[in-house]
Amino acid sequence: MFGARRSGALAAAVAVVLAVAACGSGGSAGRSGPTLVIDSTFDLKTVDPAREYELTGQMLTHGMYETLLTFEGDDLGTPAPGLASAYELSPDARTLTLTLATGRVFSDGSPVTADDVVFSLQRVIGVKGNPSFLLDGVTVAKKDDSTVVLTSAEPNAALPYILPNPALSIVNSKVVTANGGTTDDKDGAEKFLNGTSAGSGPYMLKSLDVASQAVLARNPAYNGPAEPAYDTIVIRNVQAATQVLNVQKGDSQVALDLSGDQVSGLDQGKLTVTSGPSAYTIFLFLNQGADISTATSNQQYVSAVKKAIDYAGLLQVAGAGSVQPASMIPTMITGSLPAGEAPKQDLAGAAAALAASGVNGQTPKLAYPSDFTLLGLSFQTIAERLQSQLAAAGITVELAPAPVATELDNYRNGKEEMGLWYWGPDFPDPSNYLAFAPDGLIGKRANWPASAAPDIDRAAKAAASVVDPAERANLYQEFQRSLNAGGPFIPLVQPATNIVTAKSVTGAAYNPIWTLDLGAVGAAAGGQ
Amino acid sequence: MVSNPLARYLLRRLGVSALLIVGVTLVTFVLTNLVPGDPVAANLGQRAAENPATVAAYRAHYGLDRPLPVQYATYLGNLVRGDLGESQQTHRPVLTDLQSAVPATLEIAIGAIVLSVLIGVGFGVIAAVRRGQLTDSALRVVSLVGISVPTFWLALVAFYVFSFQLDLAPGSGRLAPATTAPPHVTGLYTLDALLAGEWETFGDALAHLTLPTLVLTLYTVGLLTRFTRSAVLEVLEQDYVRSARAKGLPGRTVLFRYVLRAAMVPILTVVGLAFGALLSGTVLVEEIFAWPGLGSYAYQAASHLDLPAVMGVGLFVGIIYLVINLVVDLLYGVIDPRVRIS
Repeated sequence: MFGARRSGALAAAVAVVLAVAACGSGGSAGRSGPTLVIDSTFDLKTVDPAREYELTGQMLTHGMYETLLTFEGDDLGTPAPGLASAYELSPDARTLTLTLATGRVFSDGSPVTADDVVFSLQRVIGVKGNPSFLLDGVTVAKKDDSTVVLTSAEPNAALPYILPNPALSIVNSKVVTANGGTTDDKDGAEKFLNGTSAGSGPYMLKSLDVASQAVLARNPAYNGPAEPAYDTIVIRNVQAATQVLNVQKGDSQVALDLSGDQVSGLDQGKLTVTSGPSAYTIFLFLNQGADISTATSNQQYVSAVKKAIDYAGLLQVAGAGSVQPASMIPTMITGSLPAGEAPKQDLAGAAAALAASGVNGQTPKLAYPSDFTLLGLSFQTIAERLQSQLAAAGITVELAPAPVATELDNYRNGKEEMGLWYWGPDFPDPSNYLAFAPDGLIGKRANWPASAAPDIDRAAKAAASVVDPAERANLYQEFQRSLNAGGPFIPLVQPATNIVTAKSVTGAAYNPIWTLDLGAVGAAAGGQ
Repeated sequence: MVSNPLARYLLRRLGVSALLIVGVTLVTFVLTNLVPGDPVAANLGQRAAENPATVAAYRAHYGLDRPLPVQYATYLGNLVRGDLGESQQTHRPVLTDLQSAVPATLEIAIGAIVLSVLIGVGFGVIAAVRRGQLTDSALRVVSLVGISVPTFWLALVAFYVFSFQLDLAPGSGRLAPATTAPPHVTGLYTLDALLAGEWETFGDALAHLTLPTLVLTLYTVGLLTRFTRSAVLEVLEQDYVRSARAKGLPGRTVLFRYVLRAAMVPILTVVGLAFGALLSGTVLVEEIFAWPGLGSYAYQAASHLDLPAVMGVGLFVGIIYLVINLVVDLLYGVIDPRVRIS
């Protein structure tokens, strides 16, 4: 009896608590006006435009600030007017002249001026933060009240494609200066900008906790091209496993990080799923340093590995919506190769190349970040599949997993024999992929000097030197072809990106730079 | 000279604790710096990490350009002034981060430990008293399930069933998205909402608190049931318990005044350890419920080689265990008169 009474009391207590939970689960406290709730896995550190360079920060900053140029929707091929109504690149690609749009204002109602533009871009350079490299070698000057000139030390045809990056947002210089902002590394405005935004974008920062959530409110002074649809946008840090439940239940209206498997189980009568290849290229590289590995630095061995991989099999692992990139440049960026030119499995060719390499009995280590998933795709899974595919062709590799925080050091210092990593574009211009040229950023990590591949080096330099858009595209394609033929990099997969939205949400298109344009996200008629 | 023995004891313990805290900082500092990996690589982007000026500015900002002994001495100096450094992940003072994360975890940990003690000790006593009977077997199964079921899996299932399927519990987070947090006093949303008289916010916070608390409770209930049962059984075998029964004392008097009091010493030890574990090791549950607590903060700090944050968490957890041990030791004396403070 004694135990039964206690158990009954316990059950009653649990029931009461759950009843309270049910009463409170409506979450209506404090609601006002239409609110959009977005679930995302945060990598957020700051929303100070001059310092942020993480995906979440890019999305938030893009919603609160504007850049001189931008991209409309998912069109990355043409920089569109932003706070600058027009631009002109000089024939030598060293001078970019921008004419400011008239009448645009910050959230406090003050006009956006050329002085604000100069201050904002000089601040990005001066604080020596994560995005400072975007303006390496660039000086910024005001020509007159409505004209700003950017001058590059080297020809820089990519500059119109770099300027849409949210890190190059234009801030209200008077407000930022009054709160510790400078254009050198003495700048102390980050704390202020993490509490209050000072931009001209459709939304303003209401509150920010970089660990849990950001709340944006409609900017009443906004006079840009798109009318913001929501009074409030709440962006919450939620893991994918919980995102999938929240969006189905209606607790959130947008989920940004669901994998192909998670999306496949959703009721598409109630939710909209926008899928497509992301701009990330997952690639394998073989170190060309003979002191690192005599196997991976052997050209025939590299060829054998390229031919041994079952690319279609990797796509199955990656899930629906993913594609095989034909080059290191992903499909949506100028300079990418047609799908027909993608590397293909050739087991007979692999056997022949392996025999020709003379490599026998060696087991290179395949390093990768074991705790990392990209758009729901685990590097551990890809590495295991690669190992088994290579083994089927007689190529033995040893898996060398390590946490990303520790393995990055080996990768960046060129110590990995084979490495499985990914590249996302800093800006959607093929020049960003010169990193894979001999002596380029990633080329150095593969210990691949220009002297080892003079033809590929020439192809890269030729592409980098041209300004004419059509000729540029051709030359970058040639560079990619030469890279496929003789480089140590093997493009494997462009994983899919999935944006899941409630039917009440419109305009949720994926953009590789800022993921989602918050200002363009709308509410369907009858939705909130 | 302090004449009161309790005050003398407390002073001595505090002195030892201060030394232990310094020891904790030293061990944490050495371990975090032994990890192969460079915070610059983990926290700067690929391009920025290639720029010597950016790297130099980063190292100078976080003091990473100075020799390790100097870094450690600087840390201790700042610590005395209450400065735990700046997190490389959040760009905020670590103390500010902890002031935000700790109350979030404390809110579910306190609820979980209170429920666990009420339920787990009750179950353990019932199981011991009814040893060998059906009730005992059933409670042992409950205990085994509580201990064996992975908490993160239970969290996922509970969230799916009670929130998604049955709609008995709200979604993730500490509050509904459109609910504004109550004015910060303690950081415990339920308490702060009550202090501000915001009843709707209180209900919302309590609703969000319920499911993660119950999930954490199940494991601790399993643990406490098992320990309580074993401790009570051991006391039940003692001669003085048999004597008390032989004298004709009512069963309830024997149970509560003799048996349970004697069994409380080992139970209290487990409660202390369990509370410490709840405060420092709830990372997966926090991740599933999108609960911005200490576990999530610690995980993010470790995975990004955010050394000031790792040091801050290590220090906080060390202090928590020291305080819990001190409280438990003091309670030993209250429960068992044979334990004398000396």
